[in-house]
Amino acid sequence: MPYHEFECSKVIPERKQHAVIKGAGEDLTSCLPKGYLNTIPGSISERGCAYCGAKHVIGTPMKDVIHISHGPVGCTYDTWQTKRYISDNNNFQLKYTFATDVKEKHIVFGAEKVLKQNIIEAFKAFPEIKRMTIYQTCATALIGDDIEAIAQEVMDEMPDVDIFVCNSPGFAGPSQSGGHHKINIAWLNQKVGTLEPKITSDYVINYVGEYNIQGDQEVMLDFFKRMGIQVLSTFTGNSSYDDLRGMHRAHLNVLECARSAEYLCDELRARYGIPRLDIDGFGFEALGNSLKKIGLFFGIEDRAQAIIDEETAKWKPQLDWYKERLQGKRVCLWPGGSKLWHWAHAIQAEMGVKVISVYTKFGHQGDMEKGISRCGEGALAIDDPNELEGQEALRMLKPDVIFTGKRPGEVAKKMRVPYLNAHAYHNGPYKGFEGWVRFARDIYNAIYSPIYQLSGVDISKDEIATDKGFVTRRMLSDAGLSDEIKSLPTLTEYTGKYDCVTDLRGRTYPDFERKTAATAAE
Amino acid sequence: MDDATKLEQLVDYIMQNCLWQFNSRAKDRRKQNVGVLTKTAQILCDEPVDNPTPLDKCYWVDAVCLARAYRERYPWLATMDKTAIKTLMQKLHERMDWLTIDGSLNEELTVQHY
Repeated sequence: MPYHEFECSKVIPERKQHAVIKGAGEDLTSCLPKGYLNTIPGSISERGCAYCGAKHVIGTPMKDVIHISHGPVGCTYDTWQTKRYISDNNNFQLKYTFATDVKEKHIVFGAEKVLKQNIIEAFKAFPEIKRMTIYQTCATALIGDDIEAIAQEVMDEMPDVDIFVCNSPGFAGPSQSGGHHKINIAWLNQKVGTLEPKITSDYVINYVGEYNIQGDQEVMLDFFKRMGIQVLSTFTGNSSYDDLRGMHRAHLNVLECARSAEYLCDELRARYGIPRLDIDGFGFEALGNSLKKIGLFFGIEDRAQAIIDEETAKWKPQLDWYKERLQGKRVCLWPGGSKLWHWAHAIQAEMGVKVISVYTKFGHQGDMEKGISRCGEGALAIDDPNELEGQEALRMLKPDVIFTGKRPGEVAKKMRVPYLNAHAYHNGPYKGFEGWVRFARDIYNAIYSPIYQLSGVDISKDEIATDKGFVTRRMLSDAGLSDEIKSLPTLTEYTGKYDCVTDLRGRTYPDFERKTAATAAE
Repeated sequence: MDDATKLEQLVDYIMQNCLWQFNSRAKDRRKQNVGVLTKTAQILCDEPVDNPTPLDKCYWVDAVCLARAYRERYPWLATMDKTAIKTLMQKLHERMDWLTIDGSLNEELTVQHY
């Protein structure tokens, strides 16, 4: 096994099994780090907790819901300033966050009374919202509060409301991934099948594992609607609580982030016979293939092809403008989970960069299998890295850019490595054809930002050239390009708008005649 | 080009571009490999493909895309007769089972529940 031992972690020998370097001839039977295990004591992990994984990642993107944490107010910290899962109802779920504000006296005397009071107060404060999710936290789990019983009491007293209880305290797993699992299964057991949806198309899907980061879901929904497909629900970005209760009626589950939502798809396949189709919404070829596969399933591939042709003609020349300028740039692809495999192949094939390392904070070995398969030889793969390992890797690898979360990203910036936010994005959406160009544009802007040249100059001792002007991003990026490439009229920089999502909300779609309706009429 | 190189190219395409082979449990990976690769072999050999259930149709969708990609990228496939294609696809199936199931180091494959 080609394990890689970090100098900084020699005092934690168990860490050695969590990093590998893919060597010549290595495959998954000889090169795979450990994963999804409890963080080793002494290693300061970058992971989140199981409560965070349930609420802040998966639960809260549901848009028409009061999301309340039963615990100290600090547990609600992650909201609009750190999360970017927008919604088309004026971002209700991001703007308002709720906690029962549990204090010491509640730990001593119980917090069920304060929970009930909070639930009723919240519904009265927002009378137009009739749905609620309640999240267990460490403190209230340890004192044994019976949230389900309180929720049922309220539902009995207020028959027009519906409440979902997620019992995933922070300690309920090695990382946020434990919370993903718990909320998947809890939603399935408690809510799926409790509402019959209205079917309006011959082609009905659930779009699963998609959280509408900066509008990703809305971009993909636009494609599906243009194909005449009814998206019964999205789990969970920009989705309605009641839509997700009707998931059992879909013909197909289209799965995007398998890391966070495959449990739900697997159970829907086992319990309801709904097939699971894994797709990639990132990258021209992968997205095109994904749309074609969904089209093939329903016998409407021509509709997918029409979208691919139109979008490719419009956006490919702009992608290629960036590809010419990103050739050979070395990337550390260090996201939380699924993007290490969603992006690894596509950015190399379509943007010309080279992925020299992948890591995952909370991924499982299955994610590393996909990620390592999609990387070339020499790639360093790290599971659940600590901050010192991250710094050592950056010093060793000397990447041109790093895609990661905001906490390790800020560390990377201090080491003069440009960073892009892989979780919440910089200027997304990144899904869709236009989104992929926006991603390339953001990579370009990060790598060639003049600040990285300037930040290397120490004005207390370095000689400052006074005969040279400011070096712009374009001067840096085009320095090594041939005149032929620079003057190609077909290639242009990104021409889209700052906000490419809002206009989609008012779009009208073709009204495809239903086969079943026509058959019934005959 | 020898058979080993051909096989390596077929495996490499799947591992770089596909996701169907990476369900989280061994039992599902085996079903996926059988479903998708059997239908891919049938398509490459111009045989009829039967899809009696939605699950079969889902395997077929991935098989159609895989067969198209193989034909487009590997022109040597067109020079092989159907028996040779069947044999190669059988070896591909065995290799995929080894890489993703039987030789896999993924310790979650045998977890009983999802």
